[in-house]
Amino acid sequence: MGRVFLEHLGGLKLFNCAQCHTNLTNRSQLISTRFTGATGRAYLFKRVVNLTFSNIQERVMLTGRHMVRDVMCKNCGAKLGWMYEFATEESQKYKEGRVILEYALINEAEGFPAEAPTTSH
Amino acid sequence: MQSTSSTSTGSSSRATADVSAPNFGGGSAENVSRDTSAGGGSGDDNPAPADEHPSGSSTRNGHDAKQNGFAVNNNGSCIVDGENNRDNNTSYRGVQLDKSNQEIIRLIGQYLHDVGLDKSVKTLMVESGCYLEHPSATKFREHVLMGDWVKADLDLKDLEPLIDNGKQSTITEMKFILLEQKYLEHLDDANPLDALHVLRSELTPLQHNISRVHQLSSYMMCSTNQDLYQRAKWEGKGILSRALVMERLQTFMPPSVMMSPRRLRTLLQQAIELQSQHCPCHDMAWETNLQTVSLLTDHCCTTDGFPMQTIQILTDHCDEVWFCKFSPDGLKLATGSKDSTVIIWDVDPYKLTLKHRRVLDGQAQLSVSFVSWSPDSKLILVGGTEDSHELYIWNVEDGKLFVKFSQSLEDSLACGAFSRDGTRFVCGGQKGQLYLCDLNGTIVDSWEGVRVNSIAFRADNKTILAADNHFRIRGYNFDSPRSDFDILREPHPIMTFSINSADRLALLNVSNQGLHLWDIEDKCLVRRFQGIRQSNFAIHSCFGGINESFVASGSEDKVVYIWHIKREEPLAKLAGHTKTVNCVSWNPVYPSLLASASDDATVRIWGPKPNGSNATTESDDCSSSSSSSSWNMT
Repeated sequence: MGRVFLEHLGGLKLFNCAQCHTNLTNRSQLISTRFTGATGRAYLFKRVVNLTFSNIQERVMLTGRHMVRDVMCKNCGAKLGWMYEFATEESQKYKEGRVILEYALINEAEGFPAEAPTTSH
Repeated sequence: MQSTSSTSTGSSSRATADVSAPNFGGGSAENVSRDTSAGGGSGDDNPAPADEHPSGSSTRNGHDAKQNGFAVNNNGSCIVDGENNRDNNTSYRGVQLDKSNQEIIRLIGQYLHDVGLDKSVKTLMVESGCYLEHPSATKFREHVLMGDWVKADLDLKDLEPLIDNGKQSTITEMKFILLEQKYLEHLDDANPLDALHVLRSELTPLQHNISRVHQLSSYMMCSTNQDLYQRAKWEGKGILSRALVMERLQTFMPPSVMMSPRRLRTLLQQAIELQSQHCPCHDMAWETNLQTVSLLTDHCCTTDGFPMQTIQILTDHCDEVWFCKFSPDGLKLATGSKDSTVIIWDVDPYKLTLKHRRVLDGQAQLSVSFVSWSPDSKLILVGGTEDSHELYIWNVEDGKLFVKFSQSLEDSLACGAFSRDGTRFVCGGQKGQLYLCDLNGTIVDSWEGVRVNSIAFRADNKTILAADNHFRIRGYNFDSPRSDFDILREPHPIMTFSINSADRLALLNVSNQGLHLWDIEDKCLVRRFQGIRQSNFAIHSCFGGINESFVASGSEDKVVYIWHIKREEPLAKLAGHTKTVNCVSWNPVYPSLLASASDDATVRIWGPKPNGSNATTESDDCSSSSSSSSWNMT
């Protein structure tokens, strides 16, 4: 397996894997809290790190037909939610490339303020 | 020669008539003897060059003029002073020389002349019918070097049509350079009246580079000769300064008239440089030039002693091996595994074998993700993955735990490094710790608010370099006033990095991007090495080989990659491991040894091909022109 390389998005309010506490994303990446998954409430995020992805699957949801991939924690392998690869409905296109994390499978944690990444040198 | 002979008709055929007839069919030896016997009549070769010039100017540029310069001339007369002028039209001898052959012969001629083999030059030129340089150019040089400015000026007039198509401004510039020297020499002779004359009635009328004329006139005021040399940045009257003037003037002459000095050597030096650029295992500290390299074969650094094949497989770990590192003295290897042990191996630098020394397994359930050696090769700092909050320092000599470091259970300490003076260490992780500690494990200082993946000390023992979660490597200086600053930034996460021993280059394993080499002084990306595959796992790379001219890295495609530091394409892919290669380490003292650690639970030691295979002709050829000793062990 090698030593898994894990990223960290940083930020003030963090979302981590509930099982192994690996950082996944933070509050600034949050798009919406009004989604529902198998375990109940689910959040839509712009960018999530330290994931592995399943093969693509077609799923019919309340908002129409979607091509999605399940996402798992890269460190411990726990299933966390899914990612939208393709949305057939025009009104749902904004979800493409975004990630749903089920709230029951993640933890919130405190981060710390970091100076904004300087853009370039 | 054909093309030239057509243009040469007028002037040369006239000269042909008389002496050359008996020559044909003669061998070279014969010619020489005849030449010398017929010598002394040097007077008659003068008219010929004089009336060639019109024809020279008639064909204007580039190659034509070049060819012209030769063929029209009576040969030999330039350097071969005592020679009678015969037109050695090559066709008489049945030797047909095309342009490139003529050029080669001129190069050889110039070289022979430079080393003082003037007799051979004569023979060569006579036999080949080539010309070393334009006779007027030869005279011009002689007169310049003798300081005969009047004659030099006349020679320049002769050469005028051949230079830059007779462009007046170029000629004026050349005259100006001549007069400059003439003027300065008068001054040097304490002859201000003559100098003034040159200034007034020769330099000024040229109406060229007025500001320089003013500057020159100011040299009149110099009180001593030393003062003059200093202010004019001039060598003083004599052969030295005249030779410099000649080199300046030569730049205006087309090569057909006069070759640039030491042309053959220049070409050969270029060839050597090109060969060393193409040399796959080139030792960069080795200055390749005509003195250090044989011209008889293409230069190629030997690969004897290069770690190219597995010479030992260490199978003592019972799980994935994540890290390996040779000690700074090159005599030990530390390997760290997911099985939470570190094994210390003794290196026998003569037999090139490793021997199990001891297992260090006191670090609980800590999968070992890194090991850092103290500079005296006596201590190692050992740490685990992101979820570990402990570090261990072991004494390698007696196998005892030296210090166990832990600050808080909440900490993540996944990277660490000794300072280069061995008095402190630094450690950190993604939860935001960055601690500077002394060897008792006491925190000397800490830095808040940075999440680091990989860490290193610079040679000043003050600056700490850390790769952070914003894809940067930043410098942190704990001395007051504390400072931190950006060094570099990648568009993707930096997994691991190392600094070369010269403290100038950083080698980065960038997630999904491969291996990048940065200059950390100039803060610029130097090279992207091609080949390796890495996406999920933290893979380590290293500098190494003779003079750290090489880099190596593990890869997820099971091979060890080696590159020359100057080239993107891998020099070698060492196959043998059956799973991801996590880490490589090049022995810093014995560059024939390379270690690699893999998920297949083995450590492979790579070394040179066994001695028996040295007998192959291929490797012998290679080493003949190179420093075969540099890879040797002692």
